[in-house]
Amino acid sequence: MSYAPIGERLKAGQTVILDGAIGTEILRRNVTWADHQVANQPDVIRGIHEDYIRVGADVITTNSFQLCRRALYNHFRDDAHRRHIGARDLDTRADKMLAASVHLAQEARERVKPKRPVAIAASLTTLEWCFRPDLAPSAEQARREYEEIFQVVKDAGADLVLVETVNSIAEARVAMEVARRLKLPCWIGFVCDERGRLFTGETLEQAVAVLEPLAPDAILLNCAPPDDITAGMKQLALYAHVPIGAYAHIGRFDPPEWMFTDEYPPARYRDVASEWKQLGARVLGGCCGTTPDHIAALAALR
Amino acid sequence: MGSELVRRGVRWRKQGLLTDAERVQQLHEEYLAAGADVIRTNTLQLNPRLYLNVFRNREHMRHIGAPGLEDLAPKLLRKSVALARAARAGKEGQVAIAGVLSPLEHCFRPDLAPPADVARREQEALARVFAEEKVDFLLLESMNTISEAKAALAAGRTVGLPVWVSFVLGPEGELLSREPLAQAVAEMEKGGAEAVLVNCAPPEDVTRALGTLKKATGRPVGGFAMIGRFSPPSWKFDFFPQFIETETWPPERYVNEARRWREAGATILGGCCGTQPAHIAALRAGQGNGR
Repeated sequence: MSYAPIGERLKAGQTVILDGAIGTEILRRNVTWADHQVANQPDVIRGIHEDYIRVGADVITTNSFQLCRRALYNHFRDDAHRRHIGARDLDTRADKMLAASVHLAQEARERVKPKRPVAIAASLTTLEWCFRPDLAPSAEQARREYEEIFQVVKDAGADLVLVETVNSIAEARVAMEVARRLKLPCWIGFVCDERGRLFTGETLEQAVAVLEPLAPDAILLNCAPPDDITAGMKQLALYAHVPIGAYAHIGRFDPPEWMFTDEYPPARYRDVASEWKQLGARVLGGCCGTTPDHIAALAALR
Repeated sequence: MGSELVRRGVRWRKQGLLTDAERVQQLHEEYLAAGADVIRTNTLQLNPRLYLNVFRNREHMRHIGAPGLEDLAPKLLRKSVALARAARAGKEGQVAIAGVLSPLEHCFRPDLAPPADVARREQEALARVFAEEKVDFLLLESMNTISEAKAALAAGRTVGLPVWVSFVLGPEGELLSREPLAQAVAEMEKGGAEAVLVNCAPPEDVTRALGTLKKATGRPVGGFAMIGRFSPPSWKFDFFPQFIETETWPPERYVNEARRWREAGATILGGCCGTQPAHIAALRAGQGNGR
């Protein structure tokens, strides 16, 4: 498998179905998501991927959101402190888990054997907390870290990289540049607010202007409530020339977990996604709180 | 408390205080049965920032967050005291409940500590909750800067509670902030701390620090060490008490090291991350001559 069949569908103006939530789906299946569980509970993770493939996802995302060495290192004052009291494998653990997350998605695809092409997107995000642009590292630091992460998921066999819940143009640009250098197809997903702006206050018009010269394979909006995504989609559709798409979260963030609500049952979620499609969205999926049932409903929009 | 609850399989959300209240109370009871004179509320790193920090800002928290997050931390503090109190029932005269406060940001990240005036305001709000719930005293645990320890100590004194202050040690044997331990102790004595301790460092580090502590103050000193190695899970922003290789410090070995703490003048002994009721039972037995 490669990204090519997905890219061709988008080029032809066809709709591509992305999978739904992984992290919150793990919680819904009564497993903690404090750890990504790719090593401890591989059957649960693989099972979720299989379910999304079965209900019609064309692209499935690895369970690797925010999985990076920095996230582990952030729990210590510095290297000396980590070496003194930290687990001994913290310098290699994240990369190993990243590769494992890709392998679990591949295994799911091999088991289900879908008749249509299904691509595996390595899920990545901002290096610091996705809702906190104020914590972002410098561009140079971000580049070094993204290069390592992108190389790991490329070597593990990901078909594309999905950098999601991005909160600033600066970090999106670095990720996109790294993707181009490593020749990895790349989708960028921005989180937006009620006005359709990035969390830095930057506009999607500005984001598109900076990213399009780097030829992103798609620009998406994600991890905001459906109404906010609709507001952002109106902006994105106005300015973007590359394929665009959206996947909203439903329910409420109840840190460190998720609160599931019945506000958006699958049929209602499909209806709002169909509005995004009318606005021009060609990648449709689900973020936190969505389930295989929601993706099954979206498959009707394919 | 936290590392043992995690080890027992409690899914670590809201410190287990809502979803696993019985197991939290049960663990308090086990520590009491093991011979603890003081039990600590299960509130390390529990303050409103724990929830606010994972959102863009307060408005974003209201917009996409679960209802009630703004008032959740004080509610959980109250619940933690209720559970400790329930565990202590019948032993009111013999056992004290310490309300645990800690750095407002990650206890291992002194670089994130808020300015003193902000720390003072926020710590005082938490201390006031503990005072209203009538804990016997406050234990400031895993403090990582002198500035925030001073602010929290003053907050505790303002609400009328006795305060013990405990510092987390860095690998150099000073505060995690690299400020000298002796200076920190002097400041705490000046600020009216009833006792000064060190915690959340390996047992041998606690041994080395206690000499400095004893020399620096006439107040009671003590220590409670972490054992094993801190193994944070891969998707967590805040401190998550997951420790591995704790079997390298079985109770006998721990109590042997704690004897050195006593020799150095410590009169308050306990266990931090990774320790279990068996370690406290061993400390009680090893102490020999009772309280």
